[in-house]
Amino acid sequence: MTGFDLSAILTNPEFVAMLLHGIEMTFVIAIGSWTLAMTLAILLLALRFSPGRFGNAFVAGYVSYHRNVPTLVQLMLWYFGIFTLLPDWLTYWLASHNAEAIFAIIGLGLCQAAYFSEDLRSGLRSVSPGQMEAARALGHGYISAMRFVMMPQGVRNALPPLINHSVSLFKNSSLGVVIGASELTHAVKEIENLSFRTFEIYLIGTLLYLFFSLLIMAGGAYVSMRADPATRARA
Amino acid sequence: MTPSVSPQDVNAIRISKVSKQYGDYQVLKDIDAEVARGEVVVICGPSGSGKSTLIRTINRLEEINSGAISFDGQNIHAPMKTHDLNQLRSRIGFVFQNFNLFPHLSVVDNVSMSPVRVKGVARDIAHDKALLLLDRVGLVDKANAYPGQLSGGQQQRVAIARALAMEPPVMLFDEPTSALDPEMVGEVLAVMKSLAADGMTMLCVTHEMGFARDVADRIWFIDAGQIIEMATPEEFFTNPRHPRAQRFLADLRH
Amino acid sequence: MINDIVAIFHDYWLLLLIGQYPNGPLGGLANTLILSALSIALAFPLSILLALARLSKWPFLRWPVTVLVYVTRGVPLLMLILWSYFLVPLLTGADVPSFVTMLTTLVVYQAAFLSEVVRAGIVALGHGQMEAAKALGHGYFGAMRFVILPQALYNMIPSILSTFVSTIKDTTLGYVINVPDLTFAASQVNNQLLTQPFQVFLILAVIYYGICWSLTHVAYRLERRITRRRAGLNGVRAATVIAPVKIISEQL
Repeated sequence: MTGFDLSAILTNPEFVAMLLHGIEMTFVIAIGSWTLAMTLAILLLALRFSPGRFGNAFVAGYVSYHRNVPTLVQLMLWYFGIFTLLPDWLTYWLASHNAEAIFAIIGLGLCQAAYFSEDLRSGLRSVSPGQMEAARALGHGYISAMRFVMMPQGVRNALPPLINHSVSLFKNSSLGVVIGASELTHAVKEIENLSFRTFEIYLIGTLLYLFFSLLIMAGGAYVSMRADPATRARA
Repeated sequence: MTPSVSPQDVNAIRISKVSKQYGDYQVLKDIDAEVARGEVVVICGPSGSGKSTLIRTINRLEEINSGAISFDGQNIHAPMKTHDLNQLRSRIGFVFQNFNLFPHLSVVDNVSMSPVRVKGVARDIAHDKALLLLDRVGLVDKANAYPGQLSGGQQQRVAIARALAMEPPVMLFDEPTSALDPEMVGEVLAVMKSLAADGMTMLCVTHEMGFARDVADRIWFIDAGQIIEMATPEEFFTNPRHPRAQRFLADLRH
Repeated sequence: MINDIVAIFHDYWLLLLIGQYPNGPLGGLANTLILSALSIALAFPLSILLALARLSKWPFLRWPVTVLVYVTRGVPLLMLILWSYFLVPLLTGADVPSFVTMLTTLVVYQAAFLSEVVRAGIVALGHGQMEAAKALGHGYFGAMRFVILPQALYNMIPSILSTFVSTIKDTTLGYVINVPDLTFAASQVNNQLLTQPFQVFLILAVIYYGICWSLTHVAYRLERRITRRRAGLNGVRAATVIAPVKIISEQL
């Protein structure tokens, strides 16, 4: 409308409350799905290496599905599709417990688990096989060698793509708006509808996302640095 | 292959009071030296002495902090237009330790591309010239191969042909055989010796003392950024004056 | 269940393929593919310019591009689409169809991501190539044109293809501004049927899966062939040039 006026939004308690609620929801979705994704990724990795062909084939199929179907379509399939197939009692329970956020967490978590497990897998693969040989030569069993020699190095190698995908996961929380979750993007659109100050509220939303994304990237860089023995020795 | 130099240039390269530092570290200290037309100079010294840096300042791949380096009468480190610098560089041949051939071009294209693109030579003329040069270095049968298919020694010979294609009056060699397996050093040195025999002005940083003894007109011994000794190979190998030069030669002979 | 799916597909395949054309703008899968292909075609040259700007020695070229890259990495695509939806009609003063808005957003977004790939490809070549070109007398642009870019861009081909796949997935976000693409068509089908949302969205997922999987497979085969050819040209270095490049293109 008239002139650029951030205070029209920032001093309005109703809008600030909406923003804070949006941020809170974004974090709930992001942290919830991250935890789900990481846990699942480790299980998928274990399944990959399990004896027999089923484990490897299943994980390969799982990863293929989640990487080739757009994330938004996955969320739609969960919320508009699977939701309607559930038994009534479960539907009622979910509907009264913020179903949108729950399905966002499930959908995003399952999707990112595929990416995380592939990151861990390639991190592990890039550890030189001589390491395993050396561990076995010293008398380690398979699990012991994995635990003390291979995985620590594998995870360290996997940190850069893991951090990148974690930032992606955070940004993907915004997809929740399409299935009705009341996260930050949803709050931004609501405030825009009520205040007509499109530029200001978009700017605030953008800066908030940018701030948190950069925070995650910086945190990741710090973790990377601490994980690298060369830099840790110097610190 | 005759070098094309204007007759009044007695000194092909003149290095005057050149100094260079990285931060606090003085890499080159007040270097004064000359290379005459047709001379072959070998630069040797312990690692970290600044010999690679020195040769790289001559075609301005490295900048200097003070002094001047003149090639063909022009100070290559004076402020000048990029175009002029490129032209000047195209007249100084440079062979790298790591060859740096262009992997996406065939061998013959590696040699002919720059005369076409930098000097505007017609493509067919450049192509024929390239084949002649490849024949000179013994690799004409590899003309259509790609660098990745060649051995290190072969790649370095192609790199020499590539530099020669620009018809420079002067050739600089930065440890040309240091990255090669021992059995391939000979073939590269043979090419360099034939260039010297044809009267090319050459400045070589190398550890190959046999080459120095056979071919060099003068040897510059560098240590800690200064040319400590300049002598003929005979003087240098039989009677080095400076104690550090004596120690260097003793280490080499062990 | 299976019968439902077959029936839906049988009844609505044309709508899913080309949207409401000729009774409306071109939509459906055709529009999705056109939007994606056009975005990549425009984003690719832009990404080279951005990469060169980021590598240049002039801060006034480096800084804006660096900011652009960080913004596209840190802000959700959805937010950027909302910005475009707001700004593009404002700046052009005309009534812009959502297709154009989406195209603009995708071009800028993909160009920023691709520029990082180009930059990494150029940096991975190392100083030696530039030095050799300069020693022969090439200027900066000559060296770029004849030596550096041919190598960096050829190595980038699998990455371009996988960015194309990413773009196809990103087009689904056009849903929030009603771009008439495949997802929009599917939701129209759903709105007509109302009782079979799972089947409709399953069909949607399967179609996207088929397209993306095939393209990814082609990219994978191309990458193998390029790695093999480059190993012949370049020794072992080729593998390390391509590996980091794939990771950067995973966005959504």
